[in-house]
Amino acid sequence: MALSKDIYSAFEDIVGEEYICSDPAIMPSYHATEFAAIILPKDTAQVQSIVRLCNKHKIVFRPVCTGWTGMFPPGIIYLDLRRMNRIIEINEKNMYAVVEPYVISAQLQAELMKRGLHLNVKGAGTNCSAMLRGHGHLDQTTSGDDRNHLAIEWVTPEGELVRSGSLGSADEWFCGDGPGPSIRSILTSAVPPGVTPGVFTKAAIKIYHWPGPTQFPVQGVSPNYSLSEIPTNMMARYFSFPSVEKMWQAEIKLGENEIAFELMGFNVSMVAANITTSNEEEAETFKRMNKEVQGPGFFIILAGNSAADFEYKKRVMHQIVAEAGGKSLKEVEDPRIEGILLCQCVRISASIRETFRAGGAFSSIPVMGQRDLTIKWAIGAGKAKEPLIEKGFIVDDGGAFFGWGVEQGHLGKTEIFCKFDPQNLVAKTAVETWNKEQSARAFKERYFASLMGPMDEVGPGLSNFHQWWRKIHQAIDPNNVCPEGGALV
Amino acid sequence: MGLEQYKGDMDMCCRCSACKFIPLQKVTGFHFANVCPSISKFNFHSYSGGGRLNIGAAMLRDGFKYTDKLLDIVYNCQLCGACGVSCNYAMDMEVLEPIQEFRMKCVGDGKTHPALDKAIAGLRKHGSMVPAAGKRGDWAAGLNLKDATRQKVDVLYHVGCLSSYDKGMQKLAKATAKILQKAGVNFGIAGDAETCCGGRAYQMGYKEDFLNQAKKNMAMIKKAGVKKVVTACADGYHAFKVLYDQYGLKGKLEVLHLSEYIDTLIRDGKLKLEKKAGISVTYHDPCRLGRLGEPWIHWEGKKIPGDRFVFDPPKTYRRGTHGIYEPPRRVLKSIPGLKLTEMTRIKEYSWCCGAGGGVRESNPQFAAWTAVERIEEAKSTGAEAIVTACPWCEKTFNEAIRESGSNLKVYDIVELVEKAI
Repeated sequence: MALSKDIYSAFEDIVGEEYICSDPAIMPSYHATEFAAIILPKDTAQVQSIVRLCNKHKIVFRPVCTGWTGMFPPGIIYLDLRRMNRIIEINEKNMYAVVEPYVISAQLQAELMKRGLHLNVKGAGTNCSAMLRGHGHLDQTTSGDDRNHLAIEWVTPEGELVRSGSLGSADEWFCGDGPGPSIRSILTSAVPPGVTPGVFTKAAIKIYHWPGPTQFPVQGVSPNYSLSEIPTNMMARYFSFPSVEKMWQAEIKLGENEIAFELMGFNVSMVAANITTSNEEEAETFKRMNKEVQGPGFFIILAGNSAADFEYKKRVMHQIVAEAGGKSLKEVEDPRIEGILLCQCVRISASIRETFRAGGAFSSIPVMGQRDLTIKWAIGAGKAKEPLIEKGFIVDDGGAFFGWGVEQGHLGKTEIFCKFDPQNLVAKTAVETWNKEQSARAFKERYFASLMGPMDEVGPGLSNFHQWWRKIHQAIDPNNVCPEGGALV
Repeated sequence: MGLEQYKGDMDMCCRCSACKFIPLQKVTGFHFANVCPSISKFNFHSYSGGGRLNIGAAMLRDGFKYTDKLLDIVYNCQLCGACGVSCNYAMDMEVLEPIQEFRMKCVGDGKTHPALDKAIAGLRKHGSMVPAAGKRGDWAAGLNLKDATRQKVDVLYHVGCLSSYDKGMQKLAKATAKILQKAGVNFGIAGDAETCCGGRAYQMGYKEDFLNQAKKNMAMIKKAGVKKVVTACADGYHAFKVLYDQYGLKGKLEVLHLSEYIDTLIRDGKLKLEKKAGISVTYHDPCRLGRLGEPWIHWEGKKIPGDRFVFDPPKTYRRGTHGIYEPPRRVLKSIPGLKLTEMTRIKEYSWCCGAGGGVRESNPQFAAWTAVERIEEAKSTGAEAIVTACPWCEKTFNEAIRESGSNLKVYDIVELVEKAI
């Protein structure tokens, strides 16, 4: 599994001895796998050279950004993109930003806020790459998934440089589809494993109007942050509803009226996680809030572009919520709680509280689709959590799911978590079984196909897409040196 | 128990990389978003707080296999605790403690760094972390200070190694004495009976040497009947207040940093700062006065079996919340004509000066690199000077400024107070 001395030297010649390491001591910090080497390229040219060398010697590689998640087989090259961390351009006029893979969303977002702009930050948090493709709290007004990627600079699995869209024809980043080569279906496809083989070395990201302050006035000392004042044109609330149908009715109407800056269908357990500073406090807060809410709900942020616009949005929101029988969670009306939720849910800075804090791991089934359908599936998946909660295998969140609409519409993301202690192997097995069974049920009952599962099982039900994808993969990666794609988290 | 007691904490690391950055709400732009000098300099994930925990967990599981690279990772860390603050915004787990334990395990296994061995040899011989030329109390000659080991005093001023022996830093000890005299404090020093607090030996991983020093100091303090110790060094403050307590040696001794004490003297009307300074400054929070300066929390308990990482009795984590942040700022703001401008990374998420964890001794280039990063941040505020509250920070900043050619001035807070009285 170790690289030969000659091959190691060849990689070393590309990046310098300081930026390659195969010492076994460092491997556990990189996903507990015995990698052939960890290599840290500094730019696109170095990436190309590394990839070509991998092809020459048939060595598998996988590129990684901040590297939160991922499963890695032993013996591969781990391409740590940490040194590629420049913001290349913020184009205010044409509303895009060009970044390298290791710019985290917090950095880009802060630079954008200063300019009255912002971006779609993925639910994983602003600790992750700004180039990450996915969904998050801000989807209502900033879309999600591949919709925010414009032109991309891509080093193919063979080491060729491809510049998509307008970048390929006019050296401009404003469009991913043309004029110039559009290969969106490959570059930003949703096929397993979810990320394109090869390495994204730069990408233009769509940016949006930001009506909030250039910087949130965060006060206090960690972990007790709050806002010294809530921006006068912004507010945050959590509403619960008597039924899923009523919540959905309100969500759709809010979308139709285009008034919500953010509509995040948190369950109340996630609100509790967000606003508390320890596990014990979270458990108590959840119990208290769970008694107050009348059913499923969502968290909403309004942001006015003027005083009149803000007033209008508030009135519309209250009317829609009232018509659906919604009830505001009192604790969130407390300016201290409202302020920090507002800040955290724009800056996406507390996702770890929602996911990992409880037991150290969570299992998730995220689905994209028509919200009312996927919610129906999620209710069943939530019920299936109840025995695990009773046995103490997973955190008691009331069996809840969560989700939100994308682009103010009926399509959106629905997701359900099980938070557990991965050191408890019985619990871990139970959670894995739950995930498998609920994903299979979704496919069987025609709600959606989880593409995180075995492709051979779901592919035949989806026009055999998996066979097409394998052909494409073989064409762009004939030496099969990048079978798992990248991992931009 | 050693490292084993933190197995659960190390297993909790989800590799989110929060430990590399300042708390995310506090990121105000592309620059100055990093919080950990080690990962910022050496780049491999292994050098981050999370990476260190991942390695520790793996070695507990699979056995300790020392390599040169592993020791490079272990000793290139200032143990500044910034990783823990950023992690603990969201997570309930110990971060710095297992990293410290890992360091002590290396030393215990004989896997030491030659430069640190040399420093410890000096400590064992002279009771000092810096070369001891002359006697420890020589700096006080002619100042007519009380000998706290023989005379009854209200306050023992623990001077520390650097301010006692380093000719360039003795000015801080003299300034401190002058301030306390001006305020009419009944204080004394231990002079030649003073010995190193042991704090820096602890950071370097030499636990036994730390304990020896701590026991010597507390024996002297007990014998002298001292109830209150004031130190102007952040390392000394952390040792007396936090580490001595952690190891059950502190008793009821009251420990104050000089900036806290001056703040009280000003507020009590015992010290008046009247002379105009006419200077714009920015304040650097020393790690062991700021985030690591919060009291030790004694706790013993067991994990409650089940879904959450919770304990019986509940565990309260030291997250940097109760460090000493405001007293030095209040003191600076009390100086007439002084303008204080904050840097981006302050208080609990302050960037380290570079000197901690033995890095100043084991890898001076890395210490200087870390200091230069801070100097650049200080310059970005437009301030004329960076003010700190620890002689180790001041010395490291001054060396970095000399190397980088910057014209930024460096002061300890006592120097500015001395000028203002």
